[in-house]
Amino acid sequence: MVNTPPSTPILILGGGVAGLAAAVDLARRGLACTLAEREPALGGRARDFCCKAVSACARCGACRLADLLAEAAARPQITIYTQALATSARPAEGHGWQVELAPAGPAAPLPIGPGQPLPGRVSLAAQAVILAVGPQPFDPAGKSSLGYGRVPGVISALELEARLVQGAWEQRPAPAKLAFIQCVGSRDQSLGRLWCSRVCCGYALRLARLLKASRPDMDIAFFHMDVQDYGRAWEEELAGLRREMRFVRAMPGEVAAGAGGPEVVFALAEGKQMREAFDLVVLSQGLGPPAGAGALAQMFGLARTQDGFLGRAEEPVAAGAAGVFVAGACQGPRSLTESIDHAGLAAAAAAAYVASTKGAGRG
Amino acid sequence: MARVSLVWLERPGLEGLAPELVARAAGVELDRGGLLEAAVVSGPQAAAPPGLKGRLLGKPVVWLDLALEVGGGDDALRLARAALAVARAAGRAALGTLPPVYAPQPAQNVLVAGAGLAALSAAQEEAALGHPVLLATPFDAAHVPGQDDDPQEVSLLAARLPAQVELAPGTELTELTGAAGGFRARLAGPQGAGWQSFGAVVLAPPGQWASSCEAPGLDPALTQPVWQLRVQEVSGPPDGWLYAAVLAGTARPLTADSFARALRAALALAERPRVQVVLLYSEARVASDHGERLFRQCRQAGVLATRVAPGGLAVREGGRELAWPDPLLGQEMELAPDLIITADQARAARPAFLDNRLLWPSWESLVPDNPRFSGGRSSRTGLYILGALRGTAPGAARRVEAADAAAEMHERLAGKLVPMPVVRDKICARCLTCVRTCPHGVPRHVVDSIHCAPAGCLACGVCAAECPAQAIAPPGWSNPEMFAGLQRALALAAEPRLVLFACQNSALAAAGELSAGGHAWPAGLVINPVVCAGRVGEHLIMKALELGARAVLVAGCHEGNCRSVTGNLRSRLRAGQCSRTLGRLGLAPESVQFLHLASNQPRVLAQAVAQMAARALEG
Repeated sequence: MVNTPPSTPILILGGGVAGLAAAVDLARRGLACTLAEREPALGGRARDFCCKAVSACARCGACRLADLLAEAAARPQITIYTQALATSARPAEGHGWQVELAPAGPAAPLPIGPGQPLPGRVSLAAQAVILAVGPQPFDPAGKSSLGYGRVPGVISALELEARLVQGAWEQRPAPAKLAFIQCVGSRDQSLGRLWCSRVCCGYALRLARLLKASRPDMDIAFFHMDVQDYGRAWEEELAGLRREMRFVRAMPGEVAAGAGGPEVVFALAEGKQMREAFDLVVLSQGLGPPAGAGALAQMFGLARTQDGFLGRAEEPVAAGAAGVFVAGACQGPRSLTESIDHAGLAAAAAAAYVASTKGAGRG
Repeated sequence: MARVSLVWLERPGLEGLAPELVARAAGVELDRGGLLEAAVVSGPQAAAPPGLKGRLLGKPVVWLDLALEVGGGDDALRLARAALAVARAAGRAALGTLPPVYAPQPAQNVLVAGAGLAALSAAQEEAALGHPVLLATPFDAAHVPGQDDDPQEVSLLAARLPAQVELAPGTELTELTGAAGGFRARLAGPQGAGWQSFGAVVLAPPGQWASSCEAPGLDPALTQPVWQLRVQEVSGPPDGWLYAAVLAGTARPLTADSFARALRAALALAERPRVQVVLLYSEARVASDHGERLFRQCRQAGVLATRVAPGGLAVREGGRELAWPDPLLGQEMELAPDLIITADQARAARPAFLDNRLLWPSWESLVPDNPRFSGGRSSRTGLYILGALRGTAPGAARRVEAADAAAEMHERLAGKLVPMPVVRDKICARCLTCVRTCPHGVPRHVVDSIHCAPAGCLACGVCAAECPAQAIAPPGWSNPEMFAGLQRALALAAEPRLVLFACQNSALAAAGELSAGGHAWPAGLVINPVVCAGRVGEHLIMKALELGARAVLVAGCHEGNCRSVTGNLRSRLRAGQCSRTLGRLGLAPESVQFLHLASNQPRVLAQAVAQMAARALEG
């Protein structure tokens, strides 16, 4: 409990891109803040995202994590605790929140990147709280017909990213025949997940192009319902991608183990049943509400969207409780760049709230 | 402490200010032409009359570009700003130890030109950060929204505009030059036109609906775009059905926002009595809030959602009949609708002054499709382009942009992080290479010298790399300083000596990660960090080779990812030129290479450095 500031103007929970962006944005506005990250290292899921540039930048935004880490580390207004978990919160007297932080697991032997591990249990008084806890990608095992965890050669898109980050196919050849199955855990009534996850078409096609560049003879099938929009030059880019790989407008009903690798069972538009074997099947999992959304909502008395995300869909950053704001993809599916931008509005709203309560105190 | 006098130069932008009042308010004497101890001058050195420099010789002088400080607004406000700037400068001059400096302070006021949610949010956010805002709107009242805005939200925002926002109704921005801290804007309003100075500028013209191009030859009598649809007036005949076709991106897929609007129109029509709706689309762009639910609701309400191949919709019978092939049934479908609704999209006209290629880069360079230019940023520092003009969807996304732009602008104008390129006037040949090549529009040719916008520089160093006279000497990273640094480092390095110029936005972070992970670099490697690969021109590369480097690798961001738009491409070009020069001289051309990478690609960097080291050992 010693050596820890008992209060902070703004507490940010979550040190992924949205949390970091909110902290940097507050610092730009000249406000101090405390950022609490659960893991030993900052960066969240973006740490496992690879650069998807082939001959030019693919605009995935993964590089912006390094910018944010450098900026956050360089700004004295930002206090960073890693391995810090919010265990409870109650409204402070007047306004603001009293948040209890506890160490999440034993301290990592070496600090990784900026920030210091939470020294012990800390009770922090914050005038405003920004929640930037990130989304929870759908666990493809929840869609058991697609064979994840059961059929060898079926992996999730996040696992593919991680393999690419680790350079899995730099020493040995990449698979020759590959399938991407889109909308796994999104736009799916049978799972009750009635939202488009917005980011999957973009990341899957960029990953596919990256793999194709490493092995030009690779045969890639892209199973999808619709291709979503990804910015200005997307339609032109898409025309090129359609020449490079097979776009199959069908949602496979099953992925089964076969002698030559996983076999994808699907129906063509005219109704013909197909069964095709691949070396590797990638399930493009959608983004869902954060795993701890229920606990956080209870802790702060928050509203949740129809889809279970934090806050209210019609209000971009308001969380439904006074002095609490949401930033990034815990409020709804968002890409990295969109999360970073969204965090800027959360920071602005939190700053405005802090300023307004100060005024009220004086008056 | 020296007694400070105010030397008044009548300058554009200082009209209507009484020098006596400014001097009195700032607590200094007004210069009457005698001998001076220390002075604040109300204009830049270049504007000084011949006699003045003689009188000031050897005295502490602050050359203040007062017009930039004063900005626009009413006279009392301008007087207050002028007095504050003079008082600050006088404080510095009074210390008596400073050499003559030209140190303009960035102007703090902000021009928001536009209307609607984007403009009002921007004005509100910037005023909240303490900046005086002039909201120049083409309409009579500020709260008139763009066609694409929610009128209720906009009028609420207009009603809550803070007092620091000065309203200029019926006013258009007709010309703009400069960069952060030093913009000059020509505003034309009911009281005539005039130039004013601003620290930052936000362009957010109101959005207007434009119909999406669906299929040529539709019968105009049957066709209307979504924004003109008055759904309450639509109903089927008493004894039958009214067939309505909603075309939602049949020629080319829509944006998620336009698709959602088309879906809402289809749903509203389907709820009218005796109306049958057919929705024709090429891709269901459901990636908006509730897009998927809306799509489902449409189908549940009886809308026939039918996919057509892009451009696969045929128009017949003078535009009254639609036909398309249906893959499931394997036959051609036909429909003679009673009503055709086309999708729409918000657009805003680009201001004409941006077409001036002497002052402005192309639109693609001004608003690059680059992940580092999100949140309203443009490549011109201090200029933010928001809303329909940028192509941002109506609603929350525009508020996000306005908030991001405000924070960036606030910090930039505070000037704490902004470096200042120094142009050595005596060496400068006025070739205007810097004006032409600066990706951020910072240097300008004024009168007969190069002036830099006081808060615009990002220290990319493109100007220093490109300047043929080496007249640009940014403190800390001028050519002589960088040469000296290279010399020191290379003297300590083992053979074969290698130089890596590492862009801080990509290669430096990757190198840092490798070093932290205990990567074994070649013994002779010197890592020279640069703010942008664009800083590395021929002077630097050739100097590195001259100082004993066997190979030089310049590592910058991927194409389309450069924070200075094309700094990486310039550097790649320069590295190629050096390589060719070496080849012509009979030396190894491969000893100069350029590498594109991202901060999260450390292995790419390690591999390139290892290859460079191997080549150097062979050669």
